[in-house]
Amino acid sequence: MLKNAIAKSMSRSPWIYHVNTGSCNGCDIELVAVLTPRYDAERFGFKLSGTPRHADIVVISGPVTTQSKDRLVRTLAQVPEPKVVVTLGSCPQSGNVFKGSYSVEAPVEKFVHVDVAIAGCTPKPEAVIAGLYKAAEILQKKREAMTK
Amino acid sequence: MDITGALYILFKILIFPGLLFAVVIGLFLAGLDRKLLARMQKRVGPPLRQPLFDFLKLLGKETIVPHAANKTVYLAAPVVGFTALIVLALFIPVFGYSTFSGNGDLIVILYLLTIPAVALIVGGSSSGSPYAGIGISREMVTMMSYELPLVVVLLTVARKVGGSALCFSLGDIVSWQAENGCLAFHPAMIPALLAMLLVIPAEVGTQPFDVAEAETEICEGPLIEYSGAPLAVFKLNTAVKMFIMTALFANLFFGGIETGYVALDAVIMVAICALVTFFSMTLIHAVTARLKIEHLFKFYWTVVAGLAALSLILVWVGL
Repeated sequence: MLKNAIAKSMSRSPWIYHVNTGSCNGCDIELVAVLTPRYDAERFGFKLSGTPRHADIVVISGPVTTQSKDRLVRTLAQVPEPKVVVTLGSCPQSGNVFKGSYSVEAPVEKFVHVDVAIAGCTPKPEAVIAGLYKAAEILQKKREAMTK
Repeated sequence: MDITGALYILFKILIFPGLLFAVVIGLFLAGLDRKLLARMQKRVGPPLRQPLFDFLKLLGKETIVPHAANKTVYLAAPVVGFTALIVLALFIPVFGYSTFSGNGDLIVILYLLTIPAVALIVGGSSSGSPYAGIGISREMVTMMSYELPLVVVLLTVARKVGGSALCFSLGDIVSWQAENGCLAFHPAMIPALLAMLLVIPAEVGTQPFDVAEAETEICEGPLIEYSGAPLAVFKLNTAVKMFIMTALFANLFFGGIETGYVALDAVIMVAICALVTFFSMTLIHAVTARLKIEHLFKFYWTVVAGLAALSLILVWVGL
């Protein structure tokens, strides 16, 4: 019973940690907009945490510059299991307008497992909420798979 | 001791004024705080059960102990803090009904109240993170700030109830109020009541007095390296502390309104706790921004301690 309750509360209280890997700040502002009173992601239990140790969902924005690649991998290694990785915007998925640059490592799938990808430049707050909610459901499934 | 007596004491420790009651009411108050705050900001807000979800989720997460940490101290600190809070819950009566009572229980409460804060300091310092270092130094200053007004408020209550003999028994304070009316309605006690209302948020660590755990600034300070079950216990400590402080307030200033039925008393006390949570934590949180640590110190040692001292002087001259 406790196992079920824990798995269920996984999707009801996902804490977000946001990593900026050279983003233009557009997606970052949209992520913050999701947490403001207008969209109020806290009604689903979402909370922005300041440290990777408290995180359940890691949101990656930006095209992953060469400088930030190593930091991104190290940050993800510090997040306790179960964790879900979400990419925000088109940049981490494809490199977007920065594709082909000598200092850009996108797509991020090359070195990090991605669970949910929210596309758009920039994605609408509604799309961000939908993506994060999906990530919360994946978090619950991961927890259930861990205890099986 | 016979078996029923032992079972009754076990029931008291584990269920009614002890573990289960304190945890459930603490989580309820924490949820109420978040919900009311959201409503005041025109948000829908998280459900009332949100702190419970947070707690259960953290139980299911991996517990990481950093390389630099002292493992035993790091893992024991939250449990020590939680144990102290549960012992505290046994000392705080539901108006007339209490587990432990004696001549000096107010002094015991004062000492026990520092243990969760000390546990936070010890746990944070054992994690070896520089952010935690900043956090614990701020936590220590916060402790020094609110301790003085708290002691003066308790001294005021003791003088008012016991006269020159100073009554430090919470049970006697409650029964005195049953005869002479709630202390909240004595004019000389109003400044002390206000001071106590301002001590509660600093003790619990809610905005604007959460300098030690400033989330947006030093990433929850002492808690920065904690994850999984120990973090869950620390979060639970904050929730239980909310209940302990508001229940202490209810007993100190609204002690006289007991009905004689324990269940009804408990309901009345929870209602007072919820009201105090709203006025001392949610309302202040919604309308203020976080203070700097030196401003917090100054505020407590001038305004709040001044209010408490004013009340003490008024009581001492016989008002």
